[in-house]
Amino acid sequence: MPEQIGTPIDALVIYRRGQTHPNLHAFSWQMRRYDVSRTNLVHAEREGETTYLIYAVSAGQDHFELRLDTRLGRWTLEERDVGR
Amino acid sequence: MSPLIVHLDMDSYFASVEQQAQPPLRGRPIGVTGRPTERSIITAFSREAKRYGFHAGTPVWEALKRCPDLVLVPGHPERYIETTKRFLEILKEYTAQLEVYSIDEVFMDVTQEAGRHGGAIAMAHEIQRRFGEALGPCITTTLGIASGKVFAKLIGKHFKPNGVGVLHDEDLPDLLRRTPVGDVCGIGPRIEKRLNQLGIRTLRDLGEIPESLLRREFGVYGLFLRSIGCGRDPTPLVPYTEVPPPKSVGHSKSLPPELRDMPLALLVLRDLCEQVAGRMRKLGYVGRTVHCGFRAGSIGPHAAKQITLAVPSDDGDVIYQACEAILAVIPSRPKEVSNVAVSVGNLIEKVRLPDVLFEEDRRRDRLNGAVDRIRDRYGSQAIRRGSSFLVKPLAPHVGGFLPETWEF
Repeated sequence: MPEQIGTPIDALVIYRRGQTHPNLHAFSWQMRRYDVSRTNLVHAEREGETTYLIYAVSAGQDHFELRLDTRLGRWTLEERDVGR
Repeated sequence: MSPLIVHLDMDSYFASVEQQAQPPLRGRPIGVTGRPTERSIITAFSREAKRYGFHAGTPVWEALKRCPDLVLVPGHPERYIETTKRFLEILKEYTAQLEVYSIDEVFMDVTQEAGRHGGAIAMAHEIQRRFGEALGPCITTTLGIASGKVFAKLIGKHFKPNGVGVLHDEDLPDLLRRTPVGDVCGIGPRIEKRLNQLGIRTLRDLGEIPESLLRREFGVYGLFLRSIGCGRDPTPLVPYTEVPPPKSVGHSKSLPPELRDMPLALLVLRDLCEQVAGRMRKLGYVGRTVHCGFRAGSIGPHAAKQITLAVPSDDGDVIYQACEAILAVIPSRPKEVSNVAVSVGNLIEKVRLPDVLFEEDRRRDRLNGAVDRIRDRYGSQAIRRGSSFLVKPLAPHVGGFLPETWEF
Protein backbone atom coordinates (compact mmCIF):
# COMPACT_ATOMS: atom_id res chain seq x y z
CA MET A 1 0.00 0.00 0.00
CA PRO A 2 1.54 3.37 -0.96
CA GLU A 3 2.27 5.77 1.90
CA GLN A 4 0.82 9.29 1.39
CA ILE A 5 3.47 11.95 2.07
CA GLY A 6 2.76 15.36 0.48
CA THR A 7 6.04 17.08 1.42
CA PRO A 8 7.86 19.77 -0.61
CA ILE A 9 11.27 18.49 -1.71
CA ASP A 10 14.38 19.52 -3.64
CA ALA A 11 14.85 17.87 -7.03
CA LEU A 12 17.68 17.53 -9.51
CA VAL A 13 16.37 17.68 -13.07
CA ILE A 14 17.67 18.02 -16.61
CA TYR A 15 15.80 19.91 -19.30
CA ARG A 16 16.57 18.25 -22.61
CA ARG A 17 16.03 19.83 -26.01
CA GLY A 18 12.72 18.90 -27.58
CA GLN A 19 11.30 17.20 -24.49
CA THR A 20 7.95 18.27 -23.14
CA HIS A 21 8.95 17.67 -19.52
CA PRO A 22 12.22 17.73 -17.58
CA ASN A 23 13.99 14.47 -16.69
CA LEU A 24 14.02 13.85 -12.97
CA HIS A 25 17.43 12.52 -11.92
CA ALA A 26 17.39 12.65 -8.14
CA PHE A 27 15.56 14.16 -5.18
CA SER A 28 16.19 14.55 -1.50
CA TRP A 29 13.78 13.70 1.28
CA GLN A 30 14.41 13.43 5.02
CA MET A 31 18.11 14.24 4.57
CA ARG A 32 18.58 11.40 2.10
CA ARG A 33 19.29 11.52 -1.63
CA TYR A 34 17.28 9.22 -3.91
CA ASP A 35 18.69 8.59 -7.39
CA VAL A 36 15.96 7.86 -9.89
CA SER A 37 16.73 4.56 -11.59
CA ARG A 38 13.64 4.53 -13.81
CA THR A 39 10.87 6.92 -14.82
CA ASN A 40 7.80 4.74 -15.18
CA LEU A 41 5.23 7.26 -16.36
CA VAL A 42 4.80 11.02 -16.55
CA HIS A 43 1.44 12.66 -17.06
CA ALA A 44 -0.03 16.13 -16.75
CA GLU A 45 -2.97 17.29 -14.66
CA ARG A 46 -4.55 20.71 -14.85
CA GLU A 47 -6.20 22.66 -12.12
CA GLY A 48 -7.36 25.97 -13.52
CA GLU A 49 -4.38 27.65 -15.14
CA THR A 50 -1.84 25.52 -13.31
CA THR A 51 -0.41 22.43 -14.96
CA TYR A 52 1.07 19.79 -12.72
CA LEU A 53 3.38 17.09 -14.02
CA ILE A 54 3.05 13.85 -12.12
CA TYR A 55 6.12 11.60 -12.12
CA ALA A 56 5.88 7.91 -11.23
CA VAL A 57 9.49 6.85 -10.67
CA SER A 58 11.56 4.07 -9.11
CA ALA A 59 14.67 4.57 -7.02
CA GLY A 60 16.20 1.17 -6.44
CA GLN A 61 13.50 -1.08 -4.97
CA ASP A 62 11.27 1.82 -3.88
CA HIS A 63 8.65 3.58 -5.98
CA PHE A 64 7.57 7.20 -5.69
CA GLU A 65 5.04 9.63 -7.07
CA LEU A 66 6.18 13.26 -7.33
CA ARG A 67 4.33 16.36 -8.47
CA LEU A 68 5.84 19.36 -10.23
CA ASP A 69 3.88 22.61 -10.12
CA THR A 70 5.02 24.00 -13.48
CA ARG A 71 3.86 27.53 -12.64
CA LEU A 72 5.82 27.85 -9.43
CA GLY A 73 8.54 25.28 -10.18
CA ARG A 74 7.81 23.47 -6.91
CA TRP A 75 8.30 19.74 -6.38
CA THR A 76 6.27 17.71 -3.91
CA LEU A 77 6.77 14.09 -2.91
CA GLU A 78 3.25 12.67 -2.93
CA GLU A 79 3.58 8.93 -2.33
CA ARG A 80 6.11 6.27 -1.49
CA ASP A 81 5.70 2.53 -2.02
CA VAL A 82 8.47 0.57 -0.34
CA GLY A 83 9.77 -2.25 -2.55
CA ARG A 84 8.81 -5.85 -1.81
CA MET B 1 -5.02 -1.30 -55.08
CA SER B 2 -7.31 -2.64 -52.33
CA PRO B 3 -7.44 -0.55 -49.16
CA LEU B 4 -5.18 -1.41 -46.24
CA ILE B 5 -6.84 -0.62 -42.93
CA VAL B 6 -5.08 -1.10 -39.62
CA HIS B 7 -7.02 -1.40 -36.37
CA LEU B 8 -4.91 -0.64 -33.32
CA ASP B 9 -6.23 -1.73 -29.93
CA MET B 10 -4.31 -1.15 -26.70
CA ASP B 11 -4.18 -4.30 -24.55
CA SER B 12 -5.99 -4.11 -21.17
CA TYR B 13 -5.39 -0.40 -21.49
CA PHE B 14 -6.24 1.24 -18.15
CA ALA B 15 -4.80 -1.67 -16.20
CA SER B 16 -1.59 -1.68 -18.29
CA VAL B 17 -1.09 2.06 -17.72
CA GLU B 18 -1.51 1.53 -13.97
CA GLN B 19 0.98 -1.35 -14.05
CA GLN B 20 3.40 0.83 -15.98
CA ALA B 21 3.10 3.66 -13.42
CA GLN B 22 3.19 1.38 -10.38
CA PRO B 23 5.75 -1.46 -10.69
CA PRO B 24 4.44 -3.33 -7.59
CA LEU B 25 1.24 -4.03 -9.59
CA ARG B 26 3.06 -5.76 -12.43
CA GLY B 27 2.37 -9.44 -12.89
CA ARG B 28 -0.59 -9.26 -10.48
CA PRO B 29 -4.32 -9.50 -11.21
CA ILE B 30 -5.64 -5.95 -10.91
CA GLY B 31 -8.99 -4.30 -11.52
CA VAL B 32 -9.37 -0.58 -12.21
CA THR B 33 -12.38 0.96 -10.55
CA GLY B 34 -13.77 4.39 -9.69
CA ARG B 35 -14.43 3.77 -6.03
CA PRO B 36 -13.20 0.51 -4.51
CA THR B 37 -16.43 -0.39 -2.71
CA GLU B 38 -18.30 -3.65 -3.08
CA ARG B 39 -21.13 -1.93 -4.98
CA SER B 40 -18.83 -0.47 -7.66
CA ILE B 41 -18.00 -2.08 -10.94
CA ILE B 42 -14.57 -2.73 -12.44
CA THR B 43 -13.92 -0.88 -15.68
CA ALA B 44 -10.74 -2.69 -16.72
CA PHE B 45 -8.83 -5.81 -15.76
CA SER B 46 -5.16 -6.62 -16.23
CA ARG B 47 -4.31 -9.56 -18.46
CA GLU B 48 -3.47 -11.58 -15.31
CA ALA B 49 -7.02 -10.97 -14.06
CA LYS B 50 -8.57 -11.74 -17.43
CA ARG B 51 -7.45 -15.35 -16.98
CA TYR B 52 -10.33 -15.63 -14.51
CA GLY B 53 -12.75 -14.84 -17.33
CA PHE B 54 -13.56 -11.32 -16.14
CA HIS B 55 -14.93 -8.66 -18.45
CA ALA B 56 -15.32 -4.91 -17.98
CA GLY B 57 -18.39 -4.08 -15.91
CA THR B 58 -18.04 -6.96 -13.44
CA PRO B 59 -19.15 -5.85 -9.93
CA VAL B 60 -16.37 -5.60 -7.34
CA TRP B 61 -18.07 -8.10 -5.00
CA GLU B 62 -18.28 -10.71 -7.75
CA ALA B 63 -14.68 -10.18 -8.88
CA LEU B 64 -13.35 -10.50 -5.31
CA LYS B 65 -15.38 -13.65 -4.77
CA ARG B 66 -13.88 -15.29 -7.85
CA CYS B 67 -10.38 -13.91 -7.35
CA PRO B 68 -9.63 -12.93 -3.71
CA ASP B 69 -6.09 -11.81 -4.70
CA LEU B 70 -7.46 -9.19 -7.08
CA VAL B 71 -5.91 -5.77 -6.37
CA LEU B 72 -8.37 -2.89 -6.75
CA VAL B 73 -6.76 0.22 -8.19
CA PRO B 74 -8.47 3.63 -8.42
CA GLY B 75 -8.48 4.89 -12.00
CA HIS B 76 -6.51 7.92 -13.18
CA PRO B 77 -8.25 9.31 -16.31
CA GLU B 78 -5.50 11.92 -16.81
CA ARG B 79 -2.91 9.14 -17.11
CA TYR B 80 -4.91 7.41 -19.82
CA ILE B 81 -5.62 10.60 -21.77
CA GLU B 82 -1.95 11.62 -21.63
CA THR B 83 -0.80 8.17 -22.78
CA THR B 84 -3.32 8.25 -25.63
CA LYS B 85 -2.08 11.68 -26.71
CA ARG B 86 1.47 10.30 -26.80
CA PHE B 87 0.70 7.27 -28.90
CA LEU B 88 -1.45 9.33 -31.28
CA GLU B 89 1.51 11.66 -31.83
CA ILE B 90 3.50 8.61 -32.96
CA LEU B 91 0.70 7.33 -35.22
CA LYS B 92 0.30 10.73 -36.89
CA GLU B 93 3.81 10.29 -38.25
CA TYR B 94 2.54 7.33 -40.28
CA THR B 95 -0.67 8.70 -41.77
CA ALA B 96 -3.15 11.55 -41.51
CA GLN B 97 -5.94 9.07 -42.31
CA LEU B 98 -6.38 8.31 -38.64
CA GLU B 99 -9.71 7.73 -36.94
CA VAL B 100 -9.70 7.98 -33.14
CA TYR B 101 -12.39 5.43 -32.37
CA SER B 102 -12.03 5.59 -28.57
CA ILE B 103 -9.39 6.32 -25.96
CA ASP B 104 -7.63 3.02 -26.73
CA GLU B 105 -8.65 2.19 -30.29
CA VAL B 106 -7.60 3.74 -33.58
CA PHE B 107 -8.19 2.94 -37.23
CA MET B 108 -5.58 3.93 -39.82
CA ASP B 109 -5.79 3.85 -43.59
CA VAL B 110 -2.23 3.05 -44.66
CA THR B 111 -2.96 2.14 -48.28
CA GLN B 112 -0.57 4.81 -49.55
CA GLU B 113 1.97 4.75 -46.73
CA ALA B 114 2.58 1.05 -45.98
CA GLY B 115 5.03 0.63 -48.87
CA ARG B 116 7.40 3.22 -47.41
CA HIS B 117 7.70 1.17 -44.21
CA GLY B 118 8.33 -2.21 -45.85
CA GLY B 119 4.64 -3.18 -45.94
CA ALA B 120 1.79 -3.09 -43.43
CA ILE B 121 3.11 -5.94 -41.27
CA ALA B 122 6.58 -4.41 -40.90
CA MET B 123 4.94 -1.08 -40.14
CA ALA B 124 2.78 -2.66 -37.44
CA HIS B 125 5.82 -4.21 -35.75
CA GLU B 126 7.63 -0.88 -35.98
CA ILE B 127 4.69 0.84 -34.25
CA GLN B 128 4.74 -1.77 -31.47
CA ARG B 129 8.48 -1.23 -30.97
CA ARG B 130 8.11 2.56 -30.84
CA PHE B 131 5.21 2.31 -28.39
CA GLY B 132 7.40 0.15 -26.15
CA GLU B 133 10.16 2.78 -26.19
CA ALA B 134 7.86 5.78 -25.72
CA LEU B 135 5.23 4.43 -23.32
CA GLY B 136 7.01 1.70 -21.38
CA PRO B 137 7.15 -2.08 -21.56
CA CYS B 138 3.79 -2.73 -19.84
CA ILE B 139 1.72 -0.79 -22.36
CA THR B 140 1.31 -3.02 -25.39
CA THR B 141 -0.92 -2.95 -28.44
CA THR B 142 -2.45 -5.39 -30.91
CA LEU B 143 -2.87 -4.50 -34.56
CA GLY B 144 -5.26 -6.08 -37.04
CA ILE B 145 -4.77 -5.52 -40.78
CA ALA B 146 -7.48 -6.04 -43.38
CA SER B 147 -9.17 -4.31 -46.29
CA GLY B 148 -11.85 -2.71 -44.07
CA LYS B 149 -12.46 -1.50 -40.53
CA VAL B 150 -14.80 -4.26 -39.38
CA PHE B 151 -12.50 -7.06 -40.52
CA ALA B 152 -9.33 -5.35 -39.24
CA LYS B 153 -10.92 -5.16 -35.79
CA LEU B 154 -12.17 -8.73 -36.04
CA ILE B 155 -8.84 -10.26 -37.03
CA GLY B 156 -6.94 -8.28 -34.38
CA LYS B 157 -9.07 -9.91 -31.64
CA HIS B 158 -7.55 -13.29 -32.50
CA PHE B 159 -3.99 -12.02 -31.94
CA LYS B 160 -4.35 -10.33 -28.53
CA PRO B 161 -2.28 -9.40 -26.61
CA ASN B 162 0.70 -7.71 -28.26
CA GLY B 163 0.16 -9.35 -31.65
CA VAL B 164 -0.22 -8.47 -35.29
CA GLY B 165 -2.98 -10.17 -37.29
CA VAL B 166 -3.44 -9.98 -41.05
CA LEU B 167 -6.52 -11.07 -42.95
CA HIS B 168 -5.46 -12.32 -46.40
CA ASP B 169 -8.10 -12.62 -49.12
CA GLU B 170 -7.76 -16.41 -49.20
CA ASP B 171 -8.49 -16.61 -45.44
CA LEU B 172 -11.71 -14.61 -45.67
CA PRO B 173 -14.13 -17.53 -46.43
CA ASP B 174 -12.85 -19.46 -43.41
CA LEU B 175 -13.21 -16.40 -41.16
CA LEU B 176 -16.78 -15.85 -42.37
CA ARG B 177 -17.59 -19.51 -41.71
CA ARG B 178 -16.36 -19.56 -38.11
CA THR B 179 -17.26 -16.07 -36.88
CA PRO B 180 -20.53 -15.72 -34.93
CA VAL B 181 -22.49 -12.64 -35.95
CA GLY B 182 -22.28 -11.24 -32.40
CA ASP B 183 -18.48 -10.97 -32.66
CA VAL B 184 -18.73 -8.18 -35.19
CA CYS B 185 -18.45 -4.56 -34.10
CA GLY B 186 -21.77 -2.97 -35.06
CA ILE B 187 -23.90 -6.04 -34.33
CA GLY B 188 -25.18 -5.73 -30.77
CA PRO B 189 -26.90 -8.37 -28.59
CA ARG B 190 -30.43 -7.43 -29.73
CA ILE B 191 -29.58 -7.64 -33.45
CA GLU B 192 -27.68 -10.87 -32.77
CA LYS B 193 -30.76 -12.34 -31.10
CA ARG B 194 -33.00 -11.35 -34.02
CA LEU B 195 -30.50 -12.79 -36.50
CA ASN B 196 -30.31 -16.05 -34.53
CA GLN B 197 -34.12 -16.25 -34.59
CA LEU B 198 -33.87 -16.08 -38.38
CA GLY B 199 -31.40 -18.98 -38.27
CA ILE B 200 -28.40 -16.75 -38.97
CA ARG B 201 -25.53 -17.63 -36.66
CA THR B 202 -22.30 -16.99 -38.58
CA LEU B 203 -21.18 -14.32 -41.02
CA ARG B 204 -21.36 -16.87 -43.82
CA ASP B 205 -25.05 -17.46 -42.98
CA LEU B 206 -25.52 -13.70 -43.19
CA GLY B 207 -23.97 -13.59 -46.67
CA GLU B 208 -26.24 -16.38 -47.92
CA ILE B 209 -29.50 -14.70 -46.87
CA PRO B 210 -31.25 -12.74 -49.66
CA GLU B 211 -30.64 -9.02 -49.42
CA SER B 212 -34.37 -8.35 -49.71
CA LEU B 213 -35.05 -10.32 -46.53
CA LEU B 214 -32.40 -8.43 -44.55
CA ARG B 215 -33.68 -5.15 -45.91
CA ARG B 216 -37.22 -6.04 -44.93
CA GLU B 217 -36.18 -7.05 -41.40
CA PHE B 218 -33.60 -4.35 -40.64
CA GLY B 219 -34.13 -1.55 -43.15
CA VAL B 220 -31.01 0.21 -44.47
CA TYR B 221 -28.98 -1.47 -41.71
CA GLY B 222 -29.74 -4.76 -43.49
CA LEU B 223 -27.51 -3.62 -46.37
CA PHE B 224 -24.60 -3.23 -43.96
CA LEU B 225 -25.26 -6.71 -42.56
CA ARG B 226 -25.40 -8.21 -46.03
CA SER B 227 -22.10 -6.54 -47.06
CA ILE B 228 -20.34 -7.86 -43.97
CA GLY B 229 -21.72 -11.34 -44.64
CA CYS B 230 -20.26 -11.17 -48.16
CA GLY B 231 -16.86 -10.09 -46.83
CA ARG B 232 -17.23 -6.49 -47.97
CA ASP B 233 -16.86 -3.67 -45.49
CA PRO B 234 -18.75 -0.48 -46.35
CA THR B 235 -17.77 1.42 -43.19
CA PRO B 236 -15.82 4.56 -44.12
CA LEU B 237 -12.86 5.77 -42.09
CA VAL B 238 -13.49 9.20 -40.56
CA PRO B 239 -10.12 10.98 -40.14
CA TYR B 240 -9.59 12.99 -36.96
CA THR B 241 -9.41 16.12 -39.08
CA GLU B 242 -13.01 15.63 -40.18
CA VAL B 243 -14.74 14.76 -36.93
CA PRO B 244 -18.44 15.62 -37.26
CA PRO B 245 -19.92 18.14 -34.81
CA PRO B 246 -21.53 16.71 -31.65
CA LYS B 247 -25.18 15.69 -31.87
CA SER B 248 -25.78 16.04 -28.15
CA VAL B 249 -23.99 16.78 -24.89
CA GLY B 250 -24.93 14.74 -21.84
CA HIS B 251 -23.96 13.30 -18.50
CA SER B 252 -25.33 10.51 -16.35
CA LYS B 253 -24.41 9.32 -12.90
CA SER B 254 -24.96 6.12 -10.98
CA LEU B 255 -25.73 7.09 -7.42
CA PRO B 256 -24.33 5.49 -4.27
CA PRO B 257 -27.00 4.38 -1.74
CA GLU B 258 -26.59 7.49 0.43
CA LEU B 259 -27.65 9.76 -2.48
CA ARG B 260 -30.63 7.81 -3.77
CA ASP B 261 -33.39 9.76 -2.03
CA MET B 262 -35.08 11.89 -4.67
CA PRO B 263 -34.22 15.30 -3.12
CA LEU B 264 -30.51 14.40 -2.98
CA ALA B 265 -30.61 12.86 -6.45
CA LEU B 266 -32.04 16.14 -7.73
CA LEU B 267 -29.00 17.96 -6.32
CA VAL B 268 -26.77 15.62 -8.30
CA LEU B 269 -28.95 16.20 -11.38
CA ARG B 270 -28.57 19.94 -10.92
CA ASP B 271 -24.79 19.51 -10.82
CA LEU B 272 -24.95 17.42 -14.01
CA CYS B 273 -26.98 20.17 -15.71
CA GLU B 274 -24.26 22.68 -14.78
CA GLN B 275 -21.60 20.38 -16.21
CA VAL B 276 -23.55 19.84 -19.43
CA ALA B 277 -24.10 23.59 -19.83
CA GLY B 278 -20.41 24.29 -19.16
CA ARG B 279 -19.34 21.80 -21.81
CA MET B 280 -21.81 23.27 -24.31
CA ARG B 281 -20.44 26.77 -23.73
CA LYS B 282 -16.90 25.50 -24.17
CA LEU B 283 -17.89 23.85 -27.45
CA GLY B 284 -19.83 26.96 -28.54
CA TYR B 285 -23.25 25.30 -28.85
CA VAL B 286 -26.73 25.98 -27.56
CA GLY B 287 -29.36 23.24 -27.52
CA ARG B 288 -33.08 23.01 -27.88
CA THR B 289 -34.03 19.50 -26.76
CA VAL B 290 -33.49 18.49 -23.14
CA HIS B 291 -33.65 14.79 -22.34
CA CYS B 292 -33.83 13.71 -18.71
CA GLY B 293 -34.08 10.24 -17.19
CA PHE B 294 -33.65 8.21 -14.04
CA ARG B 295 -33.63 4.62 -12.88
CA ALA B 296 -36.21 3.91 -10.20
CA GLY B 297 -34.90 1.99 -7.17
CA SER B 298 -31.69 0.00 -7.42
CA ILE B 299 -32.72 -2.28 -10.28
CA GLY B 300 -35.93 -0.65 -11.49
CA PRO B 301 -36.79 0.42 -15.02
CA HIS B 302 -35.27 3.49 -16.64
CA ALA B 303 -37.79 6.28 -17.16
CA ALA B 304 -36.98 9.17 -19.49
CA LYS B 305 -38.67 11.94 -21.43
CA GLN B 306 -37.61 14.92 -23.44
CA ILE B 307 -38.84 18.46 -23.82
CA THR B 308 -38.22 21.16 -26.39
CA LEU B 309 -37.21 24.61 -25.20
CA ALA B 310 -38.81 27.69 -26.69
CA VAL B 311 -35.36 29.24 -27.11
CA PRO B 312 -32.12 27.22 -27.43
CA SER B 313 -29.94 27.55 -24.34
CA ASP B 314 -26.54 26.79 -22.81
CA ASP B 315 -27.61 27.82 -19.30
CA GLY B 316 -27.49 25.24 -16.49
CA ASP B 317 -30.51 26.76 -14.77
CA VAL B 318 -32.66 26.58 -17.91
CA ILE B 319 -31.62 22.96 -18.48
CA TYR B 320 -32.41 22.05 -14.88
CA GLN B 321 -35.81 23.74 -15.03
CA ALA B 322 -36.55 21.70 -18.17
CA CYS B 323 -35.56 18.55 -16.24
CA GLU B 324 -37.92 19.52 -13.43
CA ALA B 325 -40.71 19.99 -15.97
CA ILE B 326 -39.95 16.53 -17.39
CA LEU B 327 -39.93 14.90 -13.96
CA ALA B 328 -43.27 16.57 -13.15
CA VAL B 329 -44.98 14.79 -16.05
CA ILE B 330 -43.42 11.37 -15.49
CA PRO B 331 -46.37 9.57 -13.85
CA SER B 332 -44.65 7.52 -11.15
CA ARG B 333 -42.09 9.59 -9.34
CA PRO B 334 -40.18 7.14 -7.12
CA LYS B 335 -38.80 8.00 -3.69
CA GLU B 336 -35.45 6.44 -4.60
CA VAL B 337 -33.42 6.53 -7.81
CA SER B 338 -30.09 4.85 -8.58
CA ASN B 339 -29.16 6.74 -11.73
CA VAL B 340 -29.85 10.21 -13.11
CA ALA B 341 -29.12 11.40 -16.63
CA VAL B 342 -29.46 14.58 -18.63
CA SER B 343 -28.53 15.41 -22.21
CA VAL B 344 -29.15 18.31 -24.53
CA GLY B 345 -29.60 17.74 -28.25
CA ASN B 346 -30.75 19.61 -31.32
CA LEU B 347 -27.55 21.65 -31.05
CA ILE B 348 -26.91 24.87 -32.92
CA GLU B 349 -23.68 26.84 -33.01
CA LYS B 350 -24.19 29.82 -30.75
CA VAL B 351 -22.61 32.23 -33.25
CA ARG B 352 -25.43 31.44 -35.69
CA LEU B 353 -28.03 32.85 -33.32
CA PRO B 354 -28.96 36.54 -33.19
CA ASP B 355 -27.79 38.48 -30.14
CA VAL B 356 -30.05 38.13 -27.11
CA LEU B 357 -32.63 40.85 -26.85
CA PHE B 358 -33.41 41.25 -23.17
CA GLU B 359 -31.08 42.62 -20.52
CA GLU B 360 -31.87 39.75 -18.11
CA ASP B 361 -30.67 37.19 -20.73
CA ARG B 362 -27.55 39.23 -21.43
CA ARG B 363 -26.88 39.33 -17.69
CA ARG B 364 -27.14 35.49 -17.50
CA ASP B 365 -24.71 35.19 -20.40
CA ARG B 366 -22.24 37.48 -18.67
CA LEU B 367 -22.64 35.57 -15.41
CA ASN B 368 -22.01 32.21 -17.14
CA GLY B 369 -18.99 33.69 -18.94
CA ALA B 370 -17.58 34.94 -15.62
CA VAL B 371 -18.10 31.53 -13.97
CA ASP B 372 -16.38 29.81 -16.90
CA ARG B 373 -13.41 32.18 -16.68
CA ILE B 374 -13.04 31.59 -12.93
CA ARG B 375 -13.14 27.81 -13.46
CA ASP B 376 -10.66 28.00 -16.34
CA ARG B 377 -8.26 29.97 -14.20
CA TYR B 378 -8.63 28.42 -10.76
CA GLY B 379 -10.05 24.96 -11.43
CA SER B 380 -13.49 23.39 -11.82
CA GLN B 381 -14.19 23.41 -8.07
CA ALA B 382 -13.25 27.07 -7.57
CA ILE B 383 -16.84 28.28 -7.88
CA ARG B 384 -19.81 26.02 -7.22
CA ARG B 385 -23.51 26.30 -6.63
CA GLY B 386 -24.24 26.33 -2.90
CA SER B 387 -26.55 23.31 -3.11
CA SER B 388 -23.72 21.14 -4.46
CA PHE B 389 -22.07 21.33 -1.02
CA LEU B 390 -25.00 19.39 0.41
CA VAL B 391 -23.88 16.19 -1.32
CA LYS B 392 -20.49 14.61 -0.89
CA PRO B 393 -18.32 14.45 -4.03
CA LEU B 394 -18.97 11.50 -6.27
CA ALA B 395 -16.23 9.21 -7.52
CA PRO B 396 -14.45 10.55 -10.59
CA HIS B 397 -15.32 9.13 -13.98
CA VAL B 398 -12.89 6.45 -15.12
CA GLY B 399 -14.43 5.83 -18.50
CA GLY B 400 -12.95 5.55 -21.94
CA PHE B 401 -13.79 8.78 -23.68
CA LEU B 402 -11.68 11.65 -24.84
CA PRO B 403 -12.51 15.24 -24.06
CA GLU B 404 -14.10 16.85 -27.12
CA THR B 405 -12.05 19.99 -26.63
CA TRP B 406 -8.88 18.01 -27.10
CA GLU B 407 -6.67 19.62 -29.70
CA PHE B 408 -4.51 17.50 -31.96
